[in-house]
Amino acid sequence: MIPIENFLVLSAILFAIGFYGVLARRNAILILMAVELMLAGVSINFIAFATYLDADAFSGLVFALFVIAVAAAEVGLALGVVLRLFRERRTANVDEADSLKW
Amino acid sequence: MFDRLPLPSQFDRVIVAGGTVAAIVATPVLVVLLALLFSDVISGPEFVFYLAAIVVVSGALGAVLMDNVVHAALCLVATLLGVAGIYLLLMTEFIALVQVLVYGGGVVILLLFALMMTNAAEDPIVTDGSQKPFGFLVAAIMGSLFVAALLDAQWGDPTANVVPFVDFGTRIFRDFSVPVIVVAVLLDIALTGAFINARRAEEAPRERAEAERAGEARS
Amino acid sequence: MTDILGNPLNMQYELLLPEIILALTALAVVFVDAFKREFNVGYRALPFLSLIGLGGAAVATVLLMNDQGDFARLVEVDDFTTFFRLLFISTTAVVILGSWEYIEEHVNHVGEFFGLLLLSTIGAIYMAAARDLLTAYLAIEVLSFSLYVMVSMARNDPRSGEAVLKYILLGGVASAMLLYGLSLLYGVAGSTQYSEIGEALTGGSGDMELALLLGFVMIVSGLAFKASAAPFHMWAPDAYEGAPWPVTAYIATTSKAATFALFLRWFAGPLLPAVDDWAWMLASLAVVTMVIGNLVALQQHNLKRLLAYSSIAQVGYLLMAVAALSTDKGSETAGALLVHLGGYLITNLVVFIAIIHFYNREQKEEITDLKGLAQSNPYLALVTTAGLFSLAGMPLLAGFFTKFILFQAVADAGYLWLVVVAVVASTVSLYYYLVVIKQMYLYEPLAEGRWRITPTGYLVTGALFVVMVVLGLWGTPLYEVADAAAKALFISA
Repeated sequence: MIPIENFLVLSAILFAIGFYGVLARRNAILILMAVELMLAGVSINFIAFATYLDADAFSGLVFALFVIAVAAAEVGLALGVVLRLFRERRTANVDEADSLKW
Repeated sequence: MFDRLPLPSQFDRVIVAGGTVAAIVATPVLVVLLALLFSDVISGPEFVFYLAAIVVVSGALGAVLMDNVVHAALCLVATLLGVAGIYLLLMTEFIALVQVLVYGGGVVILLLFALMMTNAAEDPIVTDGSQKPFGFLVAAIMGSLFVAALLDAQWGDPTANVVPFVDFGTRIFRDFSVPVIVVAVLLDIALTGAFINARRAEEAPRERAEAERAGEARS
Repeated sequence: MTDILGNPLNMQYELLLPEIILALTALAVVFVDAFKREFNVGYRALPFLSLIGLGGAAVATVLLMNDQGDFARLVEVDDFTTFFRLLFISTTAVVILGSWEYIEEHVNHVGEFFGLLLLSTIGAIYMAAARDLLTAYLAIEVLSFSLYVMVSMARNDPRSGEAVLKYILLGGVASAMLLYGLSLLYGVAGSTQYSEIGEALTGGSGDMELALLLGFVMIVSGLAFKASAAPFHMWAPDAYEGAPWPVTAYIATTSKAATFALFLRWFAGPLLPAVDDWAWMLASLAVVTMVIGNLVALQQHNLKRLLAYSSIAQVGYLLMAVAALSTDKGSETAGALLVHLGGYLITNLVVFIAIIHFYNREQKEEITDLKGLAQSNPYLALVTTAGLFSLAGMPLLAGFFTKFILFQAVADAGYLWLVVVAVVASTVSLYYYLVVIKQMYLYEPLAEGRWRITPTGYLVTGALFVVMVVLGLWGTPLYEVADAAAKALFISA
């Protein structure tokens, strides 16, 4: 049996890579992709805990399923906004949308 | 007949180069892993885990590092499929299935469409923000703290077993009835938001006048 | 019916009746809006219908007040839930009543707007009512998603799209962080039920201390974002400025109150045994928030941004009370927090509704645009001034009474130094409120002539004003209700 730590470390690495993407990227769609990576890390965590430590009730599995649903909905909503902003400003970069300051 | 097949020179050069590099890097890793497997240092499932983990991590790195947005999106696909493999290793076929269907079939297509509809089609190369070193530092600290904390903990005794589909369905639709209803409301809201934003809104008279003036000035 | 572990499930649907009414009303509003021409009704039918639905939900809440219990181990209906149900329903009703003229003029897709307002109220209520992490998480997302969409609905405002993009991206990151924290909490406790998490943490976290601490850091960061506490407040001024005014008011009131309801449900309930792990985080967040919120507010020239930073500063005071929760005196502190939440909501609504009516007339939102309001509309100037004074915590108004109770409770809990910081911060806050008041009273108006606001405007602002003053002089009813709600919180935990 694979030790649970393997999965947890993988999820931590995935989460950190996603966080780096959020900080470093400028394009809104690429930031969204980085958020998806973070959420994938979260799902791995939930599923690992559910199968290893909570096998009778497996609430974590249900949680991970809902996380996937919410993440997909979020992508849909955010892409709608990105398209709208692109139509208004001809850019999908976050830091070119800068009329709101301080 | 054969002259209709695309020649290697017509392939996207990046794909060929990337594939070559990936093959050169992956071969020794694969060899090492196979050696470990056959010398019984790691078990069969662990071998699969490490393979999937390599796909996941390298795909994730590609998704946040690549300059070409389409390549980044394809790396994301690799990661998400690798994550589905991890779910299989965790004995949850159902969520692996959902992962492949929702992400591979839906989300990534959506992302690619959005990339194509914004400037990515003409100019797929993006520049990253100036806070890259800072971001790297923060993410590295965060990741190492996470790993340290997770390895520090003693997680009790694992009791993994396969969850039958029937139990899974009962659990969702009977025990978690309220979340199912609430997530339905949530999807409804997201749908409303997406069509409200993506639909062309009526332009303000002032903006339209300005746009016309700008157009005249340019011509 | 029992769940998979054999626990009995209570499927008593009347426990969820108020939310069911709200959801059906939301559907009806969208439907009526889509077939306006066929039904031969005008715009006014939409706010009217929404208000009827909100009234029905409030009546259902009051009638079923004594019908308490949990629904399928997912939602807890007790005095705490009832308190927040009434609070959120009335806040939404006041926002609709106070700004329906504005909404017709400045909001795209009015039918969907009212529908989302009602659905987000459900999200806010379930944030207060959840007794399972999954329900709580989805409630948070329902509220956040509706806010994203509502922020994006400003008509002809180029700032709107940009505001919502920033809000949605940062919100997604914050949700991911919150979720990571929840997953660690789930790993440590082995369950998503509040009661079982509480039991697991009471036994001590044992060998998982670092992981638990990390979980708390992530949970607190995620929630601090939702409450717009510094340093996670970057989205707030932008979202406030880009949103239509009623949505700004809604974010400043319901969204904040819902986050604090969730804070109380978690930190006074299942997470209370681990108080030593998180109290310091919340205390330091509170200090940073109070300092940054008040100092940056000093430099603002846009009314929305000023109110954004002022509400950030207010979050600092509220966080203080969460940090001061403790096992022996927790009920008093939680009660004080609820009292202050009530006072904060009413005061903010007074200011926002008054300024919305100013905007209806002038279409301007810079602080200097308020010049001479005392001459052109003395009533509105008086109401705004009273509201701003109440936000600053001047005696005789609700803001003073509730803030006094809050500070006293925090000091009693042994956080005197936090109270000292808070008092200094409130003094600073008086300055920027006075800047606004100075504009209204000391300058000549830009245009001659007096003007009036609409009858519903007088009605709403007048009623809120009276409540605010009465609460400042005689706050016992609010105090008693909040006390009962806080007690319920500690019984169910």
